[in-house]
Amino acid sequence: MTRALGLTGTVALAAALFGGTAGAQTIKIGVNEPLTGAFAASGTYVVNGAKIAADEINAKGGVLGKKIELVIEDNKSNPTEAAAVAEKLITSDKVPVLMGAWGSSLTLAVMPKLMEYETPMVVETSSSGKITTTGNPFIFRISPPSAVEAAAFKNIVDKLALKKVDFLVINNDWGRGTAEDFSKMMKDKGITIGLVETMDQGAQDMSAQLSKIKSSDSETVIVTTAVDQLTLIFKQAAALGLKKRIITTGGSQNPDQIIAQAGAAANGTMHLTTFLPWFPDKTPNPEATNYFITEWKKRGFEFAGCTESFRGYDGIRTAAAAIEKAGKAEPAAIKAALWDINIKGLNGDIVFRKSGPEGKESGQSQPNVYLIEINDGKVEMKTL
Amino acid sequence: MKAVITILAVVALASVPLWLRDPYLLNALITTGIFVIGAMSLNLLLGFTGQLSLGHIAFFGIGAYVSALTSLGFDVGLPGGFRVVHEPWPPIIGLVFAILAAGLCGYFVGLLSFRVRGAYFVIVTISFAEVVRLVALNWVELTQGPLALTNIPSIALPLPGLSELTLRTKMQNYYLVLVVALIAYLLIARLVRSHFGRAMRGLMENETLAVSVGIDVTKTLTLAAVISAAIAGAAGSLYAHYIRIIDPEVFAFINTVTMVIMVISGGKGSLAGPVVGGLIFGLLPVALRPVMAPEAQWIAYGGVLMAILFVLPRGIVPSLAQRLTRRRSGAKALALTETGVEERA
Amino acid sequence: MAQRHSRRIAGYSGTALSEFLQHMVNMLVLGGTYALLGIGLTLIFGIMNVVNFTHGVLYTFGAYITFIVVQQFGLNFFLALPVAVLAGWLLGAAIELTLLRPLRGSDIDTTMLVMIGAWIAMQSGTLWIWGGVAKSVATPFPDAPLVVGPVSVSWLRLFVLAAAALLIVVTYLLINKTSLGRAMRATFQDHDTASLMGVNVDMIYTSTFAIGSSLAAAAGALLGPVYVIFPQMGDLAAVKAFAIVILGGLGNITGAVIGGFILALAEELGAGYVSSGYRDAMGFLIIIAVLIFKPTGLFARAERVG
Repeated sequence: MTRALGLTGTVALAAALFGGTAGAQTIKIGVNEPLTGAFAASGTYVVNGAKIAADEINAKGGVLGKKIELVIEDNKSNPTEAAAVAEKLITSDKVPVLMGAWGSSLTLAVMPKLMEYETPMVVETSSSGKITTTGNPFIFRISPPSAVEAAAFKNIVDKLALKKVDFLVINNDWGRGTAEDFSKMMKDKGITIGLVETMDQGAQDMSAQLSKIKSSDSETVIVTTAVDQLTLIFKQAAALGLKKRIITTGGSQNPDQIIAQAGAAANGTMHLTTFLPWFPDKTPNPEATNYFITEWKKRGFEFAGCTESFRGYDGIRTAAAAIEKAGKAEPAAIKAALWDINIKGLNGDIVFRKSGPEGKESGQSQPNVYLIEINDGKVEMKTL
Repeated sequence: MKAVITILAVVALASVPLWLRDPYLLNALITTGIFVIGAMSLNLLLGFTGQLSLGHIAFFGIGAYVSALTSLGFDVGLPGGFRVVHEPWPPIIGLVFAILAAGLCGYFVGLLSFRVRGAYFVIVTISFAEVVRLVALNWVELTQGPLALTNIPSIALPLPGLSELTLRTKMQNYYLVLVVALIAYLLIARLVRSHFGRAMRGLMENETLAVSVGIDVTKTLTLAAVISAAIAGAAGSLYAHYIRIIDPEVFAFINTVTMVIMVISGGKGSLAGPVVGGLIFGLLPVALRPVMAPEAQWIAYGGVLMAILFVLPRGIVPSLAQRLTRRRSGAKALALTETGVEERA
Repeated sequence: MAQRHSRRIAGYSGTALSEFLQHMVNMLVLGGTYALLGIGLTLIFGIMNVVNFTHGVLYTFGAYITFIVVQQFGLNFFLALPVAVLAGWLLGAAIELTLLRPLRGSDIDTTMLVMIGAWIAMQSGTLWIWGGVAKSVATPFPDAPLVVGPVSVSWLRLFVLAAAALLIVVTYLLINKTSLGRAMRATFQDHDTASLMGVNVDMIYTSTFAIGSSLAAAAGALLGPVYVIFPQMGDLAAVKAFAIVILGGLGNITGAVIGGFILALAEELGAGYVSSGYRDAMGFLIIIAVLIFKPTGLFARAERVG
């Protein structure tokens, strides 16, 4: 088995070395995701979502009469590797379009390669504002940067009657960006900003930060981080007797995992999310959502992963739609076509608008944002 | 004989871009080369003074940040109401500043290494790297913290009589890394063979004896630390201008571990060791990638590492050199391995 | 609401005091776990002179053992603890016999690198078997915390603190009151002499590594349910353990315990009153400062340096 794999590897390498593109039977899409290292869990979810999209498209006859083939590579949660993987996918595998690279620093590391080889990439998860504002015309993002999320949240802060808000955010581009953009929006609304506390990416004990927040006179805490730290924060906040309203942002909460792992501590928490797998009928595209969730369950994946994996599903469908529209699997044509597509994603229409400096704008889609609340171990939707 | 091998190796490495057309493999060689330079600098400390630094990535990262900030410019407020505004300068000056800044940090760590030895030095260096990482992460106004420094320009060489040559292609960057690696190699080789190098080795083998024959311990260790850090800083600068984005993740512990693996598996205290170990462990992930699942690649990586040490516990280069010479003449072997450094040089 | 309002009127000093008390309680709970992490490593480091990079993996291993026992076999949490200790002991002994014994006499860097290789391989193996999604373990303790005045603390963490204290005392007695402990201490002082005196040094090394490993696994088994369980959970724990060991002096159990509490105090006060971004920096700055003024740790024994 290993030997056979090794042989195909060698053949692939040889083919790459001698520049063979022997009669492309398939249309390739490069997938650059973290499958090992700190973000392994999330990257694996996204890849599994991407596979569902590819199988669905191929079952319906593929794109331009050919099957699509995902070339999936592990960027090891490491920016240097993310750049190397992009290089491999573009030059060795000759993919005309990529999807990636989960974390913002991973995506940012890939971006110079996209310029170098003039190949477009669909960005499915990264939230850093910088990705679409530094003038890289090969970036097409379907996930909301924190400013978009803050703008969506603006419409409901009145109903929540917020007065003073503390922040507890992960100390990376995502957390810092959220604290910045949400503070700006809330100050405009006349809400006072109290503490802004951070936690390191791998930190497990947030008791010190939470004790500080417990003693402040705010009534709400905005928390931004991934599901594992959220679970810990809810448990530790309950242990400290912190009785403030907690609202999480960022869409990486996997509420079902939180309910399963934090138990009663999760009750009463609110979450800004970009996908509603619990209420397929309330999503913009109920048919696709139902298909995706059924398929996800059929493959034996944990339901909690849906809120991450749907991005991989949407990302691949976006890339495939652009290839179809372009009429050929070539980077320049796909890049041009990405501006023209309009597909029904699982969290809203995917239409790219221009963002960033004039003449070299990146594409940014405006996904929907929903507010949900966990009550008695169940997810409830709050009307926006 | 050794010189011939060295020259042949350099010629072979220099010829690579002429026949290797795959940009992906060339990219892997460039990033490997950058880490090999880092590993060579670590070897100067570990292999020739016996001090293990597990925070070596600090110097690399400081070099990367200094170089990037020099070429990008910054505007930062200091305590007391001062503001420092810096306009962007050419990246090549960034490289020089990276070397100087990393060297300066090396000086302070070197002073420490006089007081703190062995396992304690290991922890001091880890702590130092962590503190530097946390400063890079939290001093957002200067480093942009986790938002990363992006759009770092490529290095441009000012050519006499001509305009600048901006190194954008793989081939240009490959030769840049090769040249810097060669300079670092020759510098370390010269250093090791000098009076200073003998002092370092004397110190490592028997400190009491070394002191009694008049070796200035502080000066020796400090100088080794300064030069080692400066070379690591140069590698960091090359990294920043090649990858063109840096964030505090550059200080990740795994990057130090990568350098340590390169040095010890290749053979510490041997000039060629980090190069051989570096090429093996830099390119091993590339070779494993098409063959097996991502998790299995890491397991194989760890397995190969353990296997090499079981077969060649002193590292590849010294162990093989020992076997070769032993086969050639039993009598000479002992003498050669005792001076393993010089015979490699 | 009215109650909270009145408390605010009661003045800043009242809140400040209760915040301080809460930080102190947090420090005690955190310090106990740090101490437990430190003692296993300090034995191995001190007696065997091995920079044990597998310490974090063994901690992770212990946590996954509780996950298997409690979540997969549906057995009691209290049963999981001795199982994890035993499994850690066996894995530790296996690592010592297969990886360290053949390399006896090699220098410290070689064994360190072998440990690095084992760490990488074992951590990736964990990821391969269980995936990267974090697991959690249910415990029989109530969700509602114990509240005393302005301070609250979870019952589970109190149990962990008590269990850690018990394990530390047992280890201390093992080292100081048993014949195995006497042999270990003799080996620590001078292994050549110990060997001449008839101590089976090979056996001592295997025992030491197994005991240290079982302590790491115990720490993981206790803390896994407090936190969440994932393949990289041991990395940060290992770095902290190294720091604690150095702070306390190699091979010094009491030193490791005190080092654990000092680190917890620095982190808690750093995050509470300086900046949460520099929380972890506090611990490392203390270590640098301590080593500048006392280069062999706070409680190093005079007879052994470096």
